[in-house]
Amino acid sequence: MAALSEEVLLVVKRVRQRKQDGTLYLMTERIAWGPEGKDRFTVSHLYADIRCQKISPDGKAKIQLQLVLHTGESTTFHFANESTALKDRDAAKDLLQQLLPKFKKKANKELEEKNRMLQEDPVLFQLYKDLVVSQVISAEEFWASRLKLNSVDHALSNNNKQEVGISAAFLADIRPQTDGCNGLKYNLTSDIIESIFRTYPAVKQKYAENVPHNLTEKEFWTRFFQSHYFHRDRINTGQQDIFSECAKQDEKVSHLSCVKNPMVDLMSLEDKTLDEGYGSLTALPNSSKTVKENSNSAIIKRFNHHSAMVLAAGLRKVEASSDQASETSSTDGNSRDSDFFQPPIKKVKLQEAIEYEDLQNESGPKTIALNLKKSDRYSHGPVPLQSHHYSTSQDIINSVSCIQEEISCYKPCLTRVMSSSAASSAITALSPGGVLMQAGAQQTISQLVSTDVQSELKHLYTAAGELLRHFWSCFPVNTPFLEEKVVKMQSNLERFQSTKLHPFQEKIQREYLSTNLTNHVEEMIQAAYNKFHAWQTRRMLRKT
Amino acid sequence: MKLNIDGLLVYFPYDYIYPEQYSYMLELKRTLDAKGHGVLEMPSGTGKTISLLSLIVAYQRTYPLEVTKLIYCSRTVPEIEKVIEELRKLMEFYTKETGEKNNFLALALSSRKNLCIHPEILHANIVVYSYHYLLDPKIADLVSKELAKKSVVVFDEAHNIDNVCIDSMSVNITRRTLDRCQTNVETLQNTIQRIKETDAAKLREEYRRLVEGLKEANVARETDIYLSNPVLPDEILQEAVPGSIRTAEHFVGFLKRFLEYLKARLRIHHVVQESSPQFLKDIYEKVCIDRKPLRFCAERLRSLLRTLEIADIADFSAVTLISNFATLVSTYSKGFTIIIEPFEDKTPTIVNPVLHFSCMDPSIAIKPVFERFQSVIITSGTLSPLDIYPRILDFRPVTMASFTMTLARTCLCPLIVGRGNDQVAMSSKFETREDFAVIRNYGNLLLEMSAIVPDGIVAFFTSYVYMENIVASWYEQGILENIQRNKLIFIETQDAAETSMALEKYQEACENGRGAILLSVARGKVSEGIDFVHHFGRAVIMFGVPYVYTQSRILKARLEYLRDQFQIRENDFLTFDAMRHAAQCVGRAIRGKTDYGLMIFADKRYARADKRGKLPRWIQEHITDGSLNLTIDETVQLSKHFLRQMAQPFRREDQLGLSLLTLEQLQSEEMLQKISQIAQQV
Repeated sequence: MAALSEEVLLVVKRVRQRKQDGTLYLMTERIAWGPEGKDRFTVSHLYADIRCQKISPDGKAKIQLQLVLHTGESTTFHFANESTALKDRDAAKDLLQQLLPKFKKKANKELEEKNRMLQEDPVLFQLYKDLVVSQVISAEEFWASRLKLNSVDHALSNNNKQEVGISAAFLADIRPQTDGCNGLKYNLTSDIIESIFRTYPAVKQKYAENVPHNLTEKEFWTRFFQSHYFHRDRINTGQQDIFSECAKQDEKVSHLSCVKNPMVDLMSLEDKTLDEGYGSLTALPNSSKTVKENSNSAIIKRFNHHSAMVLAAGLRKVEASSDQASETSSTDGNSRDSDFFQPPIKKVKLQEAIEYEDLQNESGPKTIALNLKKSDRYSHGPVPLQSHHYSTSQDIINSVSCIQEEISCYKPCLTRVMSSSAASSAITALSPGGVLMQAGAQQTISQLVSTDVQSELKHLYTAAGELLRHFWSCFPVNTPFLEEKVVKMQSNLERFQSTKLHPFQEKIQREYLSTNLTNHVEEMIQAAYNKFHAWQTRRMLRKT
Repeated sequence: MKLNIDGLLVYFPYDYIYPEQYSYMLELKRTLDAKGHGVLEMPSGTGKTISLLSLIVAYQRTYPLEVTKLIYCSRTVPEIEKVIEELRKLMEFYTKETGEKNNFLALALSSRKNLCIHPEILHANIVVYSYHYLLDPKIADLVSKELAKKSVVVFDEAHNIDNVCIDSMSVNITRRTLDRCQTNVETLQNTIQRIKETDAAKLREEYRRLVEGLKEANVARETDIYLSNPVLPDEILQEAVPGSIRTAEHFVGFLKRFLEYLKARLRIHHVVQESSPQFLKDIYEKVCIDRKPLRFCAERLRSLLRTLEIADIADFSAVTLISNFATLVSTYSKGFTIIIEPFEDKTPTIVNPVLHFSCMDPSIAIKPVFERFQSVIITSGTLSPLDIYPRILDFRPVTMASFTMTLARTCLCPLIVGRGNDQVAMSSKFETREDFAVIRNYGNLLLEMSAIVPDGIVAFFTSYVYMENIVASWYEQGILENIQRNKLIFIETQDAAETSMALEKYQEACENGRGAILLSVARGKVSEGIDFVHHFGRAVIMFGVPYVYTQSRILKARLEYLRDQFQIRENDFLTFDAMRHAAQCVGRAIRGKTDYGLMIFADKRYARADKRGKLPRWIQEHITDGSLNLTIDETVQLSKHFLRQMAQPFRREDQLGLSLLTLEQLQSEEMLQKISQIAQQV
């Protein structure tokens, strides 16, 4: 029995499945059920496969728990122990409630990401093999700077991942069902609750205020749906309703925000010049409405509100982070006066409206508006430190005109040219293969060295480059962490030299190739050593 | 580029030109040459405004004595601002090309706050403002009456111009109006009393002036300085103000009597409908008020308000309304009707009497404009059928033309959906509009479209009430929830502020890729004023045929009048009116040749020739026999195909030589031949 090796978290006896008595086991990674008297599981689901759990409402004769899988299948367990059925079921439910979310999010994103990067980038993969597999540096060290680098590259792809929006229809999934005795049943999942919270922050706040000290979770949602039900048709918002405030709050917000784009502002659309009393009105305003019409327009109001909230929920995250970004940028001394330089939205919209892109030639690349964080900095400009080193534009213009003048009055002196033989020998010397062109005629490395050695050399270069990048990124060494890292990198470099570079050098010596192939790499590493020693001696001095 | 339009040098501020723009300018020039009026229909998004401006400005510069001024009227404030922006672009181009500073003065009026600038209007070369400044006699008198005869007047977006005319001449009087009027009259009386005690000479001077009559105004009109005011009929100008209302006290007494009469008329239990002569006869019999003093009422009140030096005329809007009504009702024996209703149809228990004095003849308000100005251009993207406008506005145009949109790829796709997948006919007609199957099929259509159309979908209903009922029904059936799985839903309401918010959110949702549906109403503010370019409207669905609410007595009276006076059959007019609104709605999605969109007409009645035939030519010519009576499934298939095609890259080279021309291409003989076919003369 496989279960033996797993830790069993909960065992519930007398649980019926398909009219068969049995025992329910909740393990660390799966839930299983086996019929009485047999030592195998006929039902076993990994938690990761389970989409949600449902329970039978209180007061029902049968006390059940249903598991819905991602595939759409479901399994129902009936808790049959008369005295403790409810307790058993709730114990199972609570444990599942804790376990399921963990498995849902457990998909190891980081590992996937690393894997993806290695697969997509052969150079990186080679580097990984050279440095990590051969144990020059540890995998953590390798990724530490990599992942950060990556997140800078695609600013949004990693840390700042785009938030998944909310389905506008999330309330549709909890359409109430009548339970047959004048009651309504709502099926809530943690996903839906999250959606409600994200869409209606006011409700989340209420939840935080009231649960669990004033209301139980269940009472809270009962009240929510009762209120929301009325909220929809706006017939009754009773005083005792804890959500009546939310509605008011929402209304306040929607009244405060006015239309930003003047092109869609219906109120200023018309140049209304007809006075009151003129015009042929077919229906006069403020005509009284029937109750049905009122409830109809309440539904419309609610849809507009709901859509706006869903839309806002998707944008809220983005705004928050961009706010943060602009805040940090403003802490570096930049005020936000750049806004003043943006053309007013109305002008932009008008230009957009009258533009015929196909009638015009593209007027060069689209320019980007100069976005000045601080305009005075721009207008005063940086003050040159050594002004005498700079030639003024006047100087440059003068010298150019000087040269032009000289060229214009240049006259070839035809009597004092060199002899034709001297000239032709000079041309020969300067032609390919000539005496003076020796350097260029040298055989290139590609002709001298075999492709294996070449690619090996390339790998060495990238590996050395990577290590050196790590090394140099430690400077200036101003934190203990960096100190530690620089020392480690120094030893990494040494290890690289001994395990990779030296064997390669020996190899090319064996093949009688000039050792200067690796000279440059050596130089680079030497430069790093020098820097390291300089740093170390300075540190010693400071310590003593 | 610089164009040669029939011998006229036209500066056109773009590097390329659409063939239809060239054709449009040709027709326009012909109209100006003939010093006559024109009706021109050109699809939206083909650069109508810039063509108009380029040609008329060029004409003004070349023949400064023939055309002195351009008066450009548009409907909404954003439209007016767009015109100004295009004009600015044109002027910059002139400066760049000719190298001389432009001395053109253009002026835009877009709010009544700016009313006191009329000397500038006289000097401006171009005036841009709203229709009302020219068509509403109350305002035209203040702003526009001194505009030169040699002006060219353009009414852009003119498909509803008849309604603007009618609105400007119609008056509604409620009990509240009469109460406020009562207060006004009392204030007048007190002021007169006070002035009499302090400055009696002032009133005597006014009396003297009135004896001499309105001669001054008459001199002006004869010498052609003023745009005539339809509220101030010509005959009045010949005569002196009648003795019975010449003194201030007598006039106030007269107003009181008139007011009492109106109050008595509102005390009714059943609907009364009568003509102006009937009304005059009754008022003479009941309170002995003659026709003649009534006609002078508006002018007499104005004189009084001037004499009393009343600064804030707005406070006296009620009494002004009543006196305008008095003058109108006694001046026009034809073209108006009086309907007094004791209560609203929907709420027969609540007493709320209204006297509607309704204009039924749009030509009355616009007549002075046609008579005064040498060229009046009526233009819009949707003016079909063209010949109905000259009939209802009573004028004789020299050019009437409809232009097609030359297209390198068919970027619009009109489809007529007549049936659900269950073969039940889809229609908003009265008998079936409550039908469960129809509502469900409409819902299914929207649901299916929401799954295949990217970004934005705009759907129009025939009225608010209809939309509210359908939305409620869809909500109960769970259709809206299913739609929400695909897109966010925003809905137009009768509250403009709320709708503006919804509209902005809708655009936001289209912008960020989430996609949204806007449910809206034909004849509503959105359908008349908001464009849904590119991804803001990849499909427009018109649920039903937007017929006007035919049960209203005012409409019935108007239909009768049209039949008797203009020989326009009721049904023809109603269909015309419905189709122009439908065309407006679906046309909102196409705003240019690089744009594309589906136009879905969801009512089987659209397939009939009498409906289809009233759509603008540029839409009509893309309706094939294969797209006439589709089921929802077929519609989805065709739409998918269309959207896939449109999603392919579309470059300038694809258009060049077909729907986009360089100057050289324009000059070729063959092309000119082709261009001559773009305009279809009516």
